[in-house]
Amino acid sequence: MSSSTVSVSAATPTQHAFHRKWEDIKASKTDINFVVMDYLISEGYPRAAEKFAKEANIQLPLEEESIQARVEIRGAIHAGDIDTAINKINDLNPQILDTDPALHFALLRLQLIELIRRCTASVTSDITPVLNFASSQLAPRAATNAAFLRDLELTMSLLIFLPSDKLEPQLNELLRPTLRREVASKVNEAILTSMGTRGEARMRQLVRLRLWAETKAREAGKDLPPTLDIGLEPEPSNAQANRNTDDDYMVS
Amino acid sequence: MSRRGSYAQVASGTAAGAGGSLSNAVPARLGAFSQVANSGSPHATHPRLSRSIDADGHHNSMSTSLGRSVPGPSYSSQFGYLKDYGVAHDGATPAFFVPSYLRGSKHAEKLEEVHTARAIAQREYRSTNSSAAGSLSTSSSSANLHKMPSSHRGLTHEIIERAPVFVEEPIAPWPTRWNAADKFPQMEVEDDGRLAKFVGQQKSNDEAASVRTDYPMPRQCGIYYYEVTVVSKGKEGRMIGVGFSGPKVSLNRIPGWEPDSYAYHGDDGQCFSNTTSGKTYGPKFTTLDVVGCGINFRTNTAFFTKNGHFLGTAFRDLKANVPYYPTIGMKKPNETLRANFGQEPFAFDIDKMVQKEKTAIEAEITQAKEICKEELSSDETHFIHSLVRQYLAHDGYVETARAFEEEIHEEERALANTENRETPHVQTEDDLHAIHRQKIRGAILDGDIDKALKHTNAYYPKVLQDNENIYFKLRCRKFIEMICKCNELSSQCHPIPTPPSKRSTASTLNNANTVANRNSTATDEYDFEMELDEQLGVHNGAPWDNSGDDEEEDDEDDMEDKEAKWQELTNKMLQYGMELKTEFANDQRREVKRALEDTFALIAYENVRESTLYPLLEPEGRVPVAEELNSAILVSLGKSSSAALEQLVQQTEALVNELADDGGPGAFINVRRDFLQ
Repeated sequence: MSSSTVSVSAATPTQHAFHRKWEDIKASKTDINFVVMDYLISEGYPRAAEKFAKEANIQLPLEEESIQARVEIRGAIHAGDIDTAINKINDLNPQILDTDPALHFALLRLQLIELIRRCTASVTSDITPVLNFASSQLAPRAATNAAFLRDLELTMSLLIFLPSDKLEPQLNELLRPTLRREVASKVNEAILTSMGTRGEARMRQLVRLRLWAETKAREAGKDLPPTLDIGLEPEPSNAQANRNTDDDYMVS
Repeated sequence: MSRRGSYAQVASGTAAGAGGSLSNAVPARLGAFSQVANSGSPHATHPRLSRSIDADGHHNSMSTSLGRSVPGPSYSSQFGYLKDYGVAHDGATPAFFVPSYLRGSKHAEKLEEVHTARAIAQREYRSTNSSAAGSLSTSSSSANLHKMPSSHRGLTHEIIERAPVFVEEPIAPWPTRWNAADKFPQMEVEDDGRLAKFVGQQKSNDEAASVRTDYPMPRQCGIYYYEVTVVSKGKEGRMIGVGFSGPKVSLNRIPGWEPDSYAYHGDDGQCFSNTTSGKTYGPKFTTLDVVGCGINFRTNTAFFTKNGHFLGTAFRDLKANVPYYPTIGMKKPNETLRANFGQEPFAFDIDKMVQKEKTAIEAEITQAKEICKEELSSDETHFIHSLVRQYLAHDGYVETARAFEEEIHEEERALANTENRETPHVQTEDDLHAIHRQKIRGAILDGDIDKALKHTNAYYPKVLQDNENIYFKLRCRKFIEMICKCNELSSQCHPIPTPPSKRSTASTLNNANTVANRNSTATDEYDFEMELDEQLGVHNGAPWDNSGDDEEEDDEDDMEDKEAKWQELTNKMLQYGMELKTEFANDQRREVKRALEDTFALIAYENVRESTLYPLLEPEGRVPVAEELNSAILVSLGKSSSAALEQLVQQTEALVNELADDGGPGAFINVRRDFLQ
């Protein structure tokens, strides 16, 4: 796309009509910066948010006191230190877990998984702590909710298979960092909601809206090109080192 | 020219046809700087709108749904509605209203923008006609002002300056009145088209008199709803039908009895579609009852309400390609109905219904999380991280990118539960460019255009050569900054009474401090780049930028000094202006002329801060230039001019538009309002 001409660009004949349509749409920088800032704040990247406010010449949203606590809680959950996380959440606001049994259960189950992981590290380890924790903490909750019960049963079956290299995908799922990440982000959302702010970052909704809209438009038989590229891949970011470090190495 | 042939031209054509006297609705602007202006040719009053017609020329789903409408008397052409606004009615613009349930919707925003543009075009027409040529009257300059963004857009278009709102295609207006030209003769329309009354003889059993509205219900609304109040059922009857019909349906029958005609009848409470045999539906209705009629275009169903109560779905499988006009019919003398197309609050809580629809769709979108997992190679979080990372790098937010990277890294490490996954700290060559770009952007955002020019020429000499339009804009911006400075100074010395008050000194000090602060933040960040600054020597040497020297002088001298400085600055500014004009005098591009003209209009004011042109001087005006230059540099480096995140937003908006055109779920989504703010 050359920018050297002043004239209004006409669509090249090879370009899909829809391509021209979205090229014609103007996205305001202010809006995009807002979305980015909103993401940094609500997902807990305080240092980046601070720098961004400076560099983009925009207002740092009112110093939201929970951000540091949220970063710590996230860190604890990611590291598998669920006890600390639960304590910190309760320090912040004990209501959060009281009013959201599903979230509490998800955290406890994560704790159970960590326990199982530790207790099955070698063939000779003792699994009594696992059984104790499961029966005292999780069983009473699971009794009241079919979904909890299913989750608990699935989790406990790890005991049978671990340690193992070949797990069923369903069980493998439990050991992946993705699960921690999911729970951590649910906790983050719950904290934000409890503080009366919008729970989820705009960015997430935007990404989903984009997918939803494309799916719907294709369903409705709109005239769209086969793929809608946003040009993320061709331009390597200046730090893609982290990109592929996710997900897989923890299982091994 | 013809591609840019604008809305305004169409409007003026129609106006000329309708009003006769309006031969030149889009006047060439005559002004003090008319030598710069391309005074002969009619400007595209609103390039933004002009594009709508471009788009239409190619393909436009709306034109297929609405435009196909049979040449009916009211919505006879895509632009037929233009003449109904404004000029056709005594030159007064009719009150624009947004029905409560459509407030905040994308369609309402678009329509409002069209309305505003039209009002401005009219104001411009009046002001140029009433004020003597050669003067820059306030109103005409305020009209210029409103056009500023779009005239600038003409220059940029392909690149970055992205205004939030845009018009893609002719926007279908919603019904506003009963159409006196689309009724059966025995029907009378009064009270600004709100009241419809049966006059004359009672009709035979099969005959009646109906009336349609000026426009069909726009599918882009998602849900459209209107109400009528039975003012009088007449002497003996209550043979009243409320509903909607296609443009061709004959008007001598009660609605509901013909193909493409649908209605709810007051005499028996039945609903009728396409035939004379009705089906049991709701209660009868009579004098003082309020009957509402709505269509949900997403589901292609219609419903009615009575006195605020929902009566259930009456019709399904409405045709997607017929424009439905609100229609009422009656057959007894003195039967009278009064319509509410949204000018007043509704009896039925339609807002709630629309909100429910929106909530349902939002829930559906949240579910898209699952699609997300399937479609993206990584999960949502990783995808977003890539987006943010790429955006920060792309737009040159160096420090932010670094901090973000570190924080992500910490997060990953915690997640990985290992200490040895030391990701090398990345400091690629891209970083250097990013730093340069950030520096250039920072200079522009600080209003130091000279610094930005120097840096750009030092690091990316080809960019300004290849992008003359950006060069031009930077020059213009510099001029604006100079005017700004002059005005700042002049407002300090002029309005003050003879003994200068303490306040003025304080404000001088503050100003000086602000300037100093700004400069220091601009440079401190990258002191390793200081060398260049010193080499270039522009930073502190800019003649209009060194107001901080004289803080300690006493008030009298200060005053005189300022006065002198102001003189000097003004001279410099004027001189620069002349240079600027000379440099671009031979430029034939309309956009250039327009921008020059707008910029020069600023000089006309003693104190621009009090004028309507003031927003031009606001620091916000620096942002588009800065972003445009940034994009141009990126392009020169062989990168895409807009970041993936921007593309994603654009795509999303385009997709939602597609989904809104035919009244699909997109109609209930306002991307900007619901997702970006």
